Amino acid sequence: MEVPLHDVWVLMAAYNEAAVIAGVVADARAIGYRVVVVDDGSQDGTGALAAGAGALVIRHPINLGQGAALQTALDFSLAEGAQFIVTFDADGQHRGSDIAGLIDALVRHRADFALGSRFLGRPTSVPPSRRLLLRVATWFTRATTGLAITDSHNGLRAMTRRGAGCIHLRQNRMAHASEILHQIADSGLKYVETPVTIHYNAYSLAKGQSLIDALLILLDLFARRLHR
Amino acid sequence: MIAQLLLTAMLFAILLYATMTYRQAPIIGLLSVAAAFGGLYFVWVPSHATRLAELVGIGRGVDLILYIWVGISLIMLLNLHLKLRSQLELITLLARKIAIADAVRSLRLDPEGTRDMC
Repeated sequence: MEVPLHDVWVLMAAYNEAAVIAGVVADARAIGYRVVVVDDGSQDGTGALAAGAGALVIRHPINLGQGAALQTALDFSLAEGAQFIVTFDADGQHRGSDIAGLIDALVRHRADFALGSRFLGRPTSVPPSRRLLLRVATWFTRATTGLAITDSHNGLRAMTRRGAGCIHLRQNRMAHASEILHQIADSGLKYVETPVTIHYNAYSLAKGQSLIDALLILLDLFARRLHR
Repeated sequence: MIAQLLLTAMLFAILLYATMTYRQAPIIGLLSVAAAFGGLYFVWVPSHATRLAELVGIGRGVDLILYIWVGISLIMLLNLHLKLRSQLELITLLARKIAIADAVRSLRLDPEGTRDMC
């Protein structure tokens, strides 16, 4: 089954990404996908640059965090009738050319989630400290969700409309990546992993997560379980 | 005796607080109830407090009561943190509704949908 390009909505959460956002949006728009950028209260003109590059921009009145911004984009795109949804980092780590592989995996495997993995297929040069952190995070995620995945913190993922309807993020900040996987596991819907390439550069590495961030994510996940 | 009465009043206040908290955060409520009952018991049976304190390596029963009090304070701090999180969730929902309503309105005005929806 061929998926029309305009049925694919690429969602990005962006906070102060003026340096790269136009290029990232243009990359996906050039292929023909619809692009929705949630400008999460940026103060550097990110929203205007994204709009100029062809994205549909939704603006949070205050900075709420990447998880909150993604949920806003999910709610909006579902309300507008999106059939296939892709989450995509706004910092230039991902390539629009990987999206087709994710959508193809959804259709071919009749799955509701296609999760990008940097550790499948073509090897990428992941910095050693990042590799170690990701290994531990992936081990933890496998143990707590039961999902047989190889890359627990990859922001590039695709989902069907049905799959997206099962995602209700309440972790506003970085812990949303783990929360999504928990909700995928809870949904009982089919998922597949698909190789994608992550392009590390000084900009994306500076925006990436440290060991302390990882510990804060664990605390966030724990705190969430303490109240309704 | 005055100290015992004061501590009892404060621990009863904690029990009341725990009851109110239970609906929102059951774990915090249960922890607070357990700590408050433990505190009340040791306030009125100090000899047991001294014996338990020696058993766990704390100098005196009075110190044990002090530690329990610190524990209760930490639990209340944690609960305060959770309440702040709940408030943030509400703010998030509100901000999201506003952002999406603005975006939809702009989209209807400009069906091409390629402009900033601030």
